[in-house]
Amino acid sequence: MEKSPPPTDTLGPTLAFLVLRLWLAVRAIVAGIEKFAVTEMTQRPLLDETGAPDPSGAIVEVEQKIYAWQNYHGLPKALSLKLAEEPLLPKFLLEPFAACLGWALIVLGAMLLFGLFTRITLALQGLIYVMLTIGLILLNQNDGVAWLGIHVGLIALALYLARYNVLAFPRKW
Amino acid sequence: MVDVGSTKAGVWSRRDFLRAAAGTGAALVLTSPGALRASSSANELRIALVGLGAQGRVLMDAVLKIENVRFVAVCDIWDYALTYGERLLKKMDQEVRGYSDYREMLDKEKDLDAVLVATPDFWHAPITNDCLRAGLNVYCEKMMSNTIEGARSMVQTMRETGKLLQIGHQRRSNPRYIVALERLYKKGLLGRVTAANAQWNRAAAADLSWPKKATMSEELLHKWGYEDMNQFRNWRWFKKYGGGPLSDLGAHQIDIFNWFFDGPPVSVLAGGGNDYYPNHEWFDNAMVIYEYQTADGPARAFYQVLTTTSAGGGYFEQFMGIDGTLKISENPKLTALYREAHAPSWDEFVAQHLLRVPKAPPTSRSDEETKVDARETAALAAYELPVVLNKAIHQPHLENFFNAIRGEAKLNCPADEAFRSEYAVFKAIEAVYAEKMIRIDPEETIA
Repeated sequence: MEKSPPPTDTLGPTLAFLVLRLWLAVRAIVAGIEKFAVTEMTQRPLLDETGAPDPSGAIVEVEQKIYAWQNYHGLPKALSLKLAEEPLLPKFLLEPFAACLGWALIVLGAMLLFGLFTRITLALQGLIYVMLTIGLILLNQNDGVAWLGIHVGLIALALYLARYNVLAFPRKW
Repeated sequence: MVDVGSTKAGVWSRRDFLRAAAGTGAALVLTSPGALRASSSANELRIALVGLGAQGRVLMDAVLKIENVRFVAVCDIWDYALTYGERLLKKMDQEVRGYSDYREMLDKEKDLDAVLVATPDFWHAPITNDCLRAGLNVYCEKMMSNTIEGARSMVQTMRETGKLLQIGHQRRSNPRYIVALERLYKKGLLGRVTAANAQWNRAAAADLSWPKKATMSEELLHKWGYEDMNQFRNWRWFKKYGGGPLSDLGAHQIDIFNWFFDGPPVSVLAGGGNDYYPNHEWFDNAMVIYEYQTADGPARAFYQVLTTTSAGGGYFEQFMGIDGTLKISENPKLTALYREAHAPSWDEFVAQHLLRVPKAPPTSRSDEETKVDARETAALAAYELPVVLNKAIHQPHLENFFNAIRGEAKLNCPADEAFRSEYAVFKAIEAVYAEKMIRIDPEETIA
C-alpha cells in the first residue's frame, strides 16, 4: 500500500511570514517618518496643581517632538559629519543617499505592508541596511552594526519564507 | 463710570489716579477704550535713579525693558557717570533731568512715584530715608546699609511713612528660585535638609580706574564723604563705605539661606583675611559657617566668598537633604537637582514639568576601574530645573516693585524681611574679626 505524503501544514509558515512582513514594513515606515521629526524645547507657562498658571509666572521649557516636512534629515547631522570624513566613502553619494533614505524606507515599507513586489521590496530594504552597515563599520560603531545585522537576518528569513506569501501582488515577485 | 480726568476738588494728578486705581480696583476704570487710552499714560510710573555706577546701569537697562515705567530724573555726584546715563536714556527717548545732589532732585521733582537707589552702601540709608520721607517709594540695592543702625533706620522710616521699600535681593523675584522653593523644597522633595552650601568665587582683578580727565575735585569728593578718587571708584574695599565681599556678594546668597530655612541663623563662625591684595581694607576671602534651627531640626550652612580665584566654580547655593540636593544659581547652567538612590520617585515632579530628566551622561568602564574607594556613593540621578527666565535677572524684582506700587502685588523683599538676612551678614563680618562663634538671638534680627 502506498504511503500518502504527510499533510503539508502551510498555515503556520504563512502566518509567520505575514507577521514578519508586517514587522519589517512597520519598522521601515516608522523609521522613515521619524526622519521628519525633531525634538525641540518649547516654552509654556508652568501650571499649578489646579491647572492654572503658577502664581510666580514661571515659564518652563518642555521637550516637544515636532513632525514637519522641513524637519527632514536623512541621517543625523553628527553621523553625516563623521561619514563625510571617511576616506573609503564616496562623498558625492552621501548627500543623495541621505536625501532618499527616509522616503525609500517609507515607500518600501508601504510596499511590503500591501504586498507589492514582496521579494524585490525585501531585497531593496536589505540593501539599504547593508549600505548603512558599511558606514557604521567604518565608524567602528559595533553596536549599530549588530543592530542592523539583526534587521538583515530578519529580511533573509523573510525572503526564505516568502514562498508562503499571501495577500500580495504579484505573487511571483 | 469714573471720570478719570477730574475729581470734585479739581484735576486728578497721575499719582492720585494710581492711588485710586490701586485702592478701588482699576478694572472698573479700564472698561472703555477712552478710559484705556487715558490710563495708558496715567498708569505710567515716573521714576528717578540715584547712582549711575555699574549697578545703577544694570538697573537702568532692566527698567528700560519694562512697560509703563519712565525715567524722569537721574542723579550722580560724578559728572562722567551722570552724562553717560543722560545720554543713554535720551537714546531710548527718555528725556531726563540730571542732578548731582539727590536733595535738590527731591526738591524739584514733585511728580515722582519712586526712586531707585544704587549708590555705594554708606549712602543707602540717608538717601532712602529722605526719599521715603518725601513720600516716594524706594527700591534700594543691597546691602541696605554699611551699618546695622543704618539698615534698621530704613525699616523704621518705611514703617513711619507707609511707603514701599524694596531691597535688591533680586533672587526673591526670580521664578526659578520661587518655583524651587514653593513647588520643590517646601513639598519635601529633598527630605529633611541638614546642610546648605553656597559660594561665589571671582578671579583676582585689578582695582577700578577712571579717565584722568574725569577726576573729581577733592572738595567734591570730601563733600560726599570720600577720601579720594581711588576710594570713590573702589569703595567696596573700604570699611567706611561698604561691607566687603561678604556684603557685596555674600548678602545675596546668605539671604537665600534665610529664605529657604525660613528664618535667621542662631550662630555664626567665620574666618577671613587680607590674603592677597595689599591695598584693601576689607578681607579678600572669607568662609562662614551658620547654624540654623529649622522647623525640621538643626541645619548648617557653609558660605565661601573668594575674590582671589574663580576656582572654576562660579556662584550657586546648594541645599542638601536626606532624599536629594538642590543646587541653584542665577546661572541656569549651574542649577541641578540630585536624587539619592533610596529617595521616593520624583516622577510626579517630572510630570508636572517641575523637573526634567536630562540625557544620561556617557559612562566608561575605565571610570569603574579607577574608582579607588568602594565606599563612595554611586553617582546620583541628576535632574534639571526647566524654569527659564527670558529677562534680565533684575527685571522680575523691579517689576514686582512697580506692581506693588500699583497695588497689584506684594513686595517680594520688603526692608524688614531683608533686614533679617542682612543682620546675619553683619554678624558674619563681626565673627571674622572676633575669631569666635557668635550667637544670634532671632529677636535681635527684627528691626
